[in-house]
Amino acid sequence: MSLSSPPRHAVRSAAVVALVALWTGTSHSQINQSPRSRAVVQEIGLPAIDRGLHDQDPPRDARTSGNIAHATASGEALPYVRGSIIVKFKNDATRGAVSAATAQVAGAIEDRSSSADFDIVDIPMDADPEVAAAALRERVDVEYAQPRYLNHAMARPNDTLYPNQWNFPAIDMERAWDIQPGASTDIIVAVLDSGMAFRSSTVRYNSRFGFRLTPNGPTFPALGLVDIPFAAAPELGASGSSRFVSPRDFIWNDDLPLDLDGHGTHVAGTIGQVTNNNSGTAGMAYNVRLMPVKVIQGLWDEIFGSPFEGTDDVVARGIRYAADNGAKVINLSIGREDGGPATAVIDAMRYAIGRGCFIAVASGNTRTDGNAANRLAQPAPDIEGMVAVGAVGRTLDIAFYSTTGPYLELSAPGGDQRQGGLQAGILQQTVDPDFLETYLRPVSQYGPPRADIFSYEFFQGTSMATPHVSGFAALLMQQGLTSPAVIEAAMKQFATDHGTPGKDDLYGFGLINPRATLRGLGLAR
Amino acid sequence: MSPQAARLFIPLIAFMMATPAIATAHAQDRPRQRPAPARQQPPRSRSIQIGGYAMAGNFSFAAKDSFDAILGKSSGPIFGGGARVGLPFGGLFVDLGAWRFRDEGERVFVLNNEVFPLNIPTKITVTPIELSVGWRFRIRRVQKLIPYVAGGFTTMKYQETADFNTPAEDVDENFSGSHLLGGAEYKITRWLGVAGEGTWTTVPDAIEESGVSKAFNENDLGGVSFRFKITIGR
Repeated sequence: MSLSSPPRHAVRSAAVVALVALWTGTSHSQINQSPRSRAVVQEIGLPAIDRGLHDQDPPRDARTSGNIAHATASGEALPYVRGSIIVKFKNDATRGAVSAATAQVAGAIEDRSSSADFDIVDIPMDADPEVAAAALRERVDVEYAQPRYLNHAMARPNDTLYPNQWNFPAIDMERAWDIQPGASTDIIVAVLDSGMAFRSSTVRYNSRFGFRLTPNGPTFPALGLVDIPFAAAPELGASGSSRFVSPRDFIWNDDLPLDLDGHGTHVAGTIGQVTNNNSGTAGMAYNVRLMPVKVIQGLWDEIFGSPFEGTDDVVARGIRYAADNGAKVINLSIGREDGGPATAVIDAMRYAIGRGCFIAVASGNTRTDGNAANRLAQPAPDIEGMVAVGAVGRTLDIAFYSTTGPYLELSAPGGDQRQGGLQAGILQQTVDPDFLETYLRPVSQYGPPRADIFSYEFFQGTSMATPHVSGFAALLMQQGLTSPAVIEAAMKQFATDHGTPGKDDLYGFGLINPRATLRGLGLAR
Repeated sequence: MSPQAARLFIPLIAFMMATPAIATAHAQDRPRQRPAPARQQPPRSRSIQIGGYAMAGNFSFAAKDSFDAILGKSSGPIFGGGARVGLPFGGLFVDLGAWRFRDEGERVFVLNNEVFPLNIPTKITVTPIELSVGWRFRIRRVQKLIPYVAGGFTTMKYQETADFNTPAEDVDENFSGSHLLGGAEYKITRWLGVAGEGTWTTVPDAIEESGVSKAFNENDLGGVSFRFKITIGR
């Protein structure tokens, strides 16, 4: 439903400026010099720099809502965005009923965004979004209403390098590739994540405010206008090549889903890293085309003041966009543990599955931190064609962080660096964190990032397990199984049972077994 | 012989042995007839008669859904041959024959009885050996037509192989079962004849291990067939 309302940017900009003005004080005049946007300075950048394998860094924790960093004035973070909520009115809701509903929460409907079948209702900044959404859910003319919960990546960074990729032999991929060698360009896998290192360019950002990463941490200063070099990850494909299709950035609301975090590039590598090229690492379905869809913020996106954050409505729009633009597999190595059900996202998932998309979602990384479920993965048992993926380590035992529960359906290698050290993570090429995460340096050495330098990093998390399942789904599609529900059923049927016999909360139906699934059934065996 | 095969085989043999007795009992009900001239009596063998045959036919598998899933059909041509020994006890004979069914299909995934092909070529070969005991009936007025019935023991060799299989994943096993058959032979000359027969074969508990046969709850490798034979010998 789309009714006229005050422009969303105006509201958000006012809020940001107010926050910044409250906090930054003297730098106030500098930060208002440029609009809250970014601009491509050069269509091409310098060639990518490959710094090779990083195997001496200390392991990093898998991401959860609890440990994810936010670049905010106070260093504190809420699980949702203030000032607006997601509402889907029933189709037969009258204009009067909609007006009454929005008036109930002192709100106003924004112009409807692309790839959305719901509305964003602006509410007062001091209103509690959960209370407002609950009030609207009580109305008969509202199908669902929820806060704009924030999603995040499910892991953190921590073919000569193939021997380091224990994860592929662990699931018998070498023999699986004999049967189905990497799928083909007919299959498009959408990676809904922090972006992807898919093209070269130089982009000018405006770092307009200082920030803290923790309430008691140091204050990092505003950097002003900075030109950030980007390059396509050499092991993903050439910049501008047909390897990448229909890129879309829902965080910056343009067609440049560049990765300022490294997470999305790493995930994309596990799905489709260029393989058998005598260089670097391998990927599951190395011939597929990749659709970069940016739906979550990296810390730099926050620092540069992206107009959107990784809220449920943004993720839902990303899912719909991927489905409408030819994706056959959607990888969601993202999610959130805080807040209520992700109704808007689940609605979009059902839509995508109805259009023939298989969806893999990370189960979450909270096992040692309260074991709260990933809200995006929780409905998996009720949706045929979508699976919730847990992680195992090198020993094929459940990873220490992998969230368990009845919604978990399959397990895949996600790494467990508590059992085996750094190299027990999942190795892929991504943006070199040494040059990207300059906010981890002392304030005196803090500066603009570079996203044109790459290295091979061992990450761990259900984020790393999920792309194994997405790549696996692409292989099955190439082999002839096209229905998302059938793919899910096949994966479950041929999974290697672990833990308690049958389905259990730790491993779901078991560890994925691509070769057995691709082989299917003969008459007698 | 396995106990299971024996369980199936022994009643069949008993049935076959009883068949001439039934025929005799029926003859006693008829009005007494005058003895026919000796030249009109069908020849009654007092010696062992040995013959052979080649055959071709069509076999329809009992595991219809399973074969249909893999091969796209549940029946197919068979070719074989055998030898028959007529014993000096009326029409009693023993037959030892073998045939082969071979076809190619592809491996599949099955969900809710729906079949999804996976483009992995697979080859199935079924080779039974049938040992039969039966009775050939002599009809006075049509001496060239010899109906017969038989039953016996079947040992069935089942082979299944597919691209990308390891040797351990190939199937090469023998199963036991039994069969009944009935048909008629027409003697073109004293030494050459043609025959048509129908068979029913059961090979239970053979294939329901883990393949589509398990998905369809089909474990019998038997079926029914019609065969055309060219026979040589008396």
